[in-house]
Amino acid sequence: MSSETTTGATGSARPDVERLHVAGLHAASDAVLSVRDLNVRFNSENGVVHAVRGVDFDLMPGKTLGIVGESGSGKSVTSLAIMGLLPPTAEVTGSVRLKGRELLGLSDKAMCEFRGNDLAMVFQDPLSSLTPVFTVGTQIMEALTIHHPAMSRTAKEARAVELLAMVGIPSPKDRLKAFPHEFSGGMRQRVMIAIAIANNPRVLIADEPTTALDVTIQAQVLEVLHTAQEETGAAVVMITHDLGVVAGMADDIMVMYAGKPVETGAVDDIYYNPRMPYTMGLLGAVPRVDAAEKSSLVPIEGMPPNLIHTPTGCSFAPRCPLASDACLDGEPPLAPVAGGALHRAACIKSESLGGTVDVHDVFTAPPVPLSRFDAIPRAERSTVLQLKDVRKHFPLTRGALIKRRIGTVKAVDGLSFDIREGECFSIVGESGSGKTTTLLEIMEFHPDQDGEVVIGGLSNKQAADAKTKGRMRRELQMVFQDPTGALDPRFTVYEVLAEPLQNAGMDRAAIRKRIMELMRLVGLQPDHVNRFPNQFSGGQRQRIGIARALAVNPKLVVLDEPVSALDVSVQAGVINLLDHLRAELGLSYLLVAHDLSVVRHISNRVAVMYLGKIVEIGAVDRVFDNPRHPYTRALLSAIPVPDPQLERTRERIILQGDLPSPLQAPKGCNFATRCPVFAALPPGKQEKCLTLEPPLEPAASATDQQFACFFPDGEMDEDMLVVHEPADHVAP
Amino acid sequence: MLKYLAKRGITYVVMIFLTTSAGYFLAVSSLKPALLEQERIPRPTPEQVADSMRLKGLDPDLSPWERYVDWLTAIVTRWDWGRSPNGAYINAEFGDRVWISTRLFLASIVLTLVIGVALGVYSAARQYKFQDRVITSYSYLAHIVPAPIAYFLVQLGAININESVGERIFYVTGISTPGVEPGWPQFVDMLAHYVVPTVAITLVGWGAYQIAQRQYLLDNVNADFVRTARAKGLSRNQAIARHALRVSFIPVAQSIAFTIPAIFAGGFFAEKIFAWPGVGSWSIDAISLQDVNAATATLAYGSVIFAIGAVLADFATTLVDPRVRVQ
Amino acid sequence: MTYLNAVDPAAVAQDAHLESVDVVIGKNTIIFRRFLRNKTAVAGLAIFLALTVFSFIGGFFTEWDKETIDPFNIGMPPSADHYLGTSQAGIDLYAMTVEGTRISILIGLVVGLVSVLVAAVYGCTMAYFGGKVDKGMLFILEALIMMPALLVVAVATSGGGAGLKRDLPSWLLLIIVLLVFSWMGTARLIRSMSMSLMQRDFVKAAQYMGVPPRRIVWRHLVPNIGSLLILDITRGVTAAILAEVAFSFIGIGIKVPDVSLGVLIGQATSQVQTFPWMFWVPLTVMFLLTGSLAMMNDGLRDAFDPSSSSTGKAKKAKARKIHAEKKTA
Repeated sequence: MSSETTTGATGSARPDVERLHVAGLHAASDAVLSVRDLNVRFNSENGVVHAVRGVDFDLMPGKTLGIVGESGSGKSVTSLAIMGLLPPTAEVTGSVRLKGRELLGLSDKAMCEFRGNDLAMVFQDPLSSLTPVFTVGTQIMEALTIHHPAMSRTAKEARAVELLAMVGIPSPKDRLKAFPHEFSGGMRQRVMIAIAIANNPRVLIADEPTTALDVTIQAQVLEVLHTAQEETGAAVVMITHDLGVVAGMADDIMVMYAGKPVETGAVDDIYYNPRMPYTMGLLGAVPRVDAAEKSSLVPIEGMPPNLIHTPTGCSFAPRCPLASDACLDGEPPLAPVAGGALHRAACIKSESLGGTVDVHDVFTAPPVPLSRFDAIPRAERSTVLQLKDVRKHFPLTRGALIKRRIGTVKAVDGLSFDIREGECFSIVGESGSGKTTTLLEIMEFHPDQDGEVVIGGLSNKQAADAKTKGRMRRELQMVFQDPTGALDPRFTVYEVLAEPLQNAGMDRAAIRKRIMELMRLVGLQPDHVNRFPNQFSGGQRQRIGIARALAVNPKLVVLDEPVSALDVSVQAGVINLLDHLRAELGLSYLLVAHDLSVVRHISNRVAVMYLGKIVEIGAVDRVFDNPRHPYTRALLSAIPVPDPQLERTRERIILQGDLPSPLQAPKGCNFATRCPVFAALPPGKQEKCLTLEPPLEPAASATDQQFACFFPDGEMDEDMLVVHEPADHVAP
Repeated sequence: MLKYLAKRGITYVVMIFLTTSAGYFLAVSSLKPALLEQERIPRPTPEQVADSMRLKGLDPDLSPWERYVDWLTAIVTRWDWGRSPNGAYINAEFGDRVWISTRLFLASIVLTLVIGVALGVYSAARQYKFQDRVITSYSYLAHIVPAPIAYFLVQLGAININESVGERIFYVTGISTPGVEPGWPQFVDMLAHYVVPTVAITLVGWGAYQIAQRQYLLDNVNADFVRTARAKGLSRNQAIARHALRVSFIPVAQSIAFTIPAIFAGGFFAEKIFAWPGVGSWSIDAISLQDVNAATATLAYGSVIFAIGAVLADFATTLVDPRVRVQ
Repeated sequence: MTYLNAVDPAAVAQDAHLESVDVVIGKNTIIFRRFLRNKTAVAGLAIFLALTVFSFIGGFFTEWDKETIDPFNIGMPPSADHYLGTSQAGIDLYAMTVEGTRISILIGLVVGLVSVLVAAVYGCTMAYFGGKVDKGMLFILEALIMMPALLVVAVATSGGGAGLKRDLPSWLLLIIVLLVFSWMGTARLIRSMSMSLMQRDFVKAAQYMGVPPRRIVWRHLVPNIGSLLILDITRGVTAAILAEVAFSFIGIGIKVPDVSLGVLIGQATSQVQTFPWMFWVPLTVMFLLTGSLAMMNDGLRDAFDPSSSSTGKAKKAKARKIHAEKKTA
């Protein structure tokens, strides 16, 4: 089929008329949503913030446009401007036409006719986007009542049940009466989608719909969006910062930077033939879960510009390694690029960037750091951390007056692993799998714990006195997920870094010297020590957090989701820094992350956790290239890859539902309730999974890989596998 | 749910017991009715006083602990809260006065809540406009005037109205005029007595609710779920009225716990100033008359009112917030 | 709140030359400036300070004092001799107002400061120890909240045989009783705030560094609830002044011969028609006092508000950016 979306043609022959639409000379009569020269300005105390600066696009019926950009790029503001949901103080100019009708300038009341009817939206945070005091059914039916006041109550109820079933909520009839807090995040996002598609919208805008969710749940929700699009035939605007999420879904991509589209085109053009250094940088900054080859990520230095001042040159020039004086002379317009029919880029050098230019030629990625430990076989290195059968069980009680114990939450259930010198060991799993509890148990380091934790030769069983504990604290330090929360807002950087040093009993001069050293080590300017954390960007704050952890020269650093709160381009810099520090200082890391791409990039060994147990453990390349446990396979298949062709043809395992509650955990294999292999097994074999607990056993004699599954090579249940028809997406 | 309420109830019973006991010890060790008796003319002998006190169960020669045990035994076994130095029975007096206090405050509590919440919503909807500024400034003003002075000023105002009209429209003290014939005239008389105290208490009370309700609603106006409601096709005002308002009631419901006791505490002042013989003015009189049992009984009453407020707040919260409903 | 300046002075001096381009403004300075920018708050502070000064030196401007009876001027309206007139006992109202203001401010300040201090210690202890200690202390706290303060005030200040009463002036007794019943609300707030702070990553980070608990409380917890404490002090001062006036007004707080604003207002109610100045003068002073405190409280709340403080920072970031651009250009 020929792509009807104007910016997204891969076909060669296109009618002239359509090309004119693209140029904005014609109003596209067949576009369902057509945006021209959209500008949004906010008045702030500091001046006028020009948040969106001239966005144009046409969206054809049934097609998907992906808008990609980092935080502050104006992508969410664009979507809210289209919906008319910006605060009245925002000044919106340009044109937004829905099925030919101009929407800009309509009153709030007049917009109500379109919102939730032809034009619907799904928001980012499902936890706060539903009204907590109304049932889910009420909220879905409200959407119906507004646009179909004549509809009978029974008809509305029937439709609501139908919608909940469509978005994959089990026993929809009963769930109508449930309140939002009784649903998990993923389930709430499904409800949000159900509300959005209630009136068969022509355009569905999804603003980071999966950002707050686990990968497995993200895969489910993306699948639901796909179904919703098929059922309603709606065109979708998908807004995201994750290039992987849109790769398989979108027909066209628009990359935004500093409020402006800087590159637009068909999805393949953007991913395989980017012509704007920013796009190239974004693609190069993302680690790939499917690539074993070790190369440094390309960091994009600097920060996005402040939108109060009109840029006089290319807005990306201050961060662009290719920038020359010509780039500072006026902002480059979005100009057609030779090769792709509708591929346009806002870069004066776009012509020279085509074809064979690799991202590494443009951005200088640091060399892959080599650690002195890399050459030594693992078995010969000393152990820095060892866990032996560590358990953490919480009683689950119910009852107000007299507490009854109704079960046990086995947050961590018999965990054993070790970390050697110079090694990065990662723990992955969904939220609720016990990753964080494991870290807390290690940091707790108390003799009363169930199981033994040995840190640098010191065991928790003998940690009774403060002295041993103090010694252990010098071996082990932690970097937190949220760099803002981890730094006391009332401390200057100097005070933040001095705290562990003072605690170690260093004198004033030594502390000062060490702080300057640390600042340089993590790539911050030493003269910034007197600033407060809020004067730094997120990436810089995380560097301060790392510097603090390194202050006392620990052997092992625990990293709790160290980059998940950061923007993609900043992430790369922090990951490279961590990699570099590990090699230079001979550190070991214990990393907890939900992003398997980051894990693959940085770690040597990995453990996959499910409900407090390790289900698979081993060398990262072994586990990721040849996963044996069905859960590992499902996790890996759920990660979107920034490669459109691969995404379209990839077979995906969609796990059903959420993590089971501890009360529903089966006797045998924990994973049986969601296992795609289990579902396909004959009942006789299923019995084994349900009654016996599979032990962690080596895959083959000589390899570093263990897993806990009785039927690792079993067939997967058809219902849980999804392959989208390639013909659906690829132009003829 | 019931279990939860029962559990809270037991906690409060224990607390009431403790505060009342503490209050009894404080009263019994600092209030000496015998001293007052001795100032009577003709001056009785100390023996006579002690005898008369002993008869009323107020023996000054017993230790506080012994008196406490006697007092508690009487309550537990016979629900007898003892006698006053003048011989009156606390139980009998108590019933009348509780009824008078309740009559005085019930209307004020309802009015305070309704007006406060309504004005809060109204002023939030007109944030920073003239009406909002006037209403909110008034609430802040009410906050810096001591309650008895505010009551007194309202009383002065009522007197001025009476004087300028030249006719007694409002009664500024007392609960009723003796000798008014029953039926319509009695009803008018009751209203004339009611209006001034009720208006005074309400005027002072609603400010805090107005400010709180305004703030909670404004906090929710830009909530994500309001945006969702608008994305469904509700206008901004509809979305706020249907979604934000309901959610903003949750913290207000929780604060009921503190209104009811607060109004009753303010009641001490109101009863004193408007000369209503309720529990509040009784407690103050009891102290000046060195009446241990009456003082303790009013203290127990105050604690019970607080506990009722707290249980009502729990109840109201579960009513408006499904998240705390125990399934 | 002073710890911010506790950075090693040597280090600061050494850095001074680096910082000349990019002045980092301390948080206290920012808050102070924002407070000063708020006109109402500054006016409130000025009125409050003026009243305080007046209550101490006002007595020197008249030859009368609060006890001397002027037999020639009984129940006189304001005149050159008696600036604010005299009571029907012939005592100079101006002298009594000066004295009453001082007592009221004294009660307010002592109760406001000490109760917040008690609340901070009690609240932090609850949050820090948690568990059973927390439960027990919470029970005591709620029981105290349930206790009608007014009754206890009445018992304590009017008890016939109370030994305390004989040894202490009534204003001191009132201070003690108000203190006992004024700290619970703040303590509960501080408890919940400290508890959420204990969960914050920077406190965890300090714990994992092995920083001793007392130091964590002092360096991380106390400064982070500092703004709340200051707000509660102004609120507590207002509440104590109001409580004094209310109690004295109905005759159970301060007792004659001690004078306070509440006593003056209360005494004047019976003759408000005949001697209106006796009522309105102390009432106006009370309004000025509580009003100025409310204005200060409002200004302080704005100054501490992190959401409004962010704009100030944005301004600075912008200024820095402009500066940097100028440098590169």
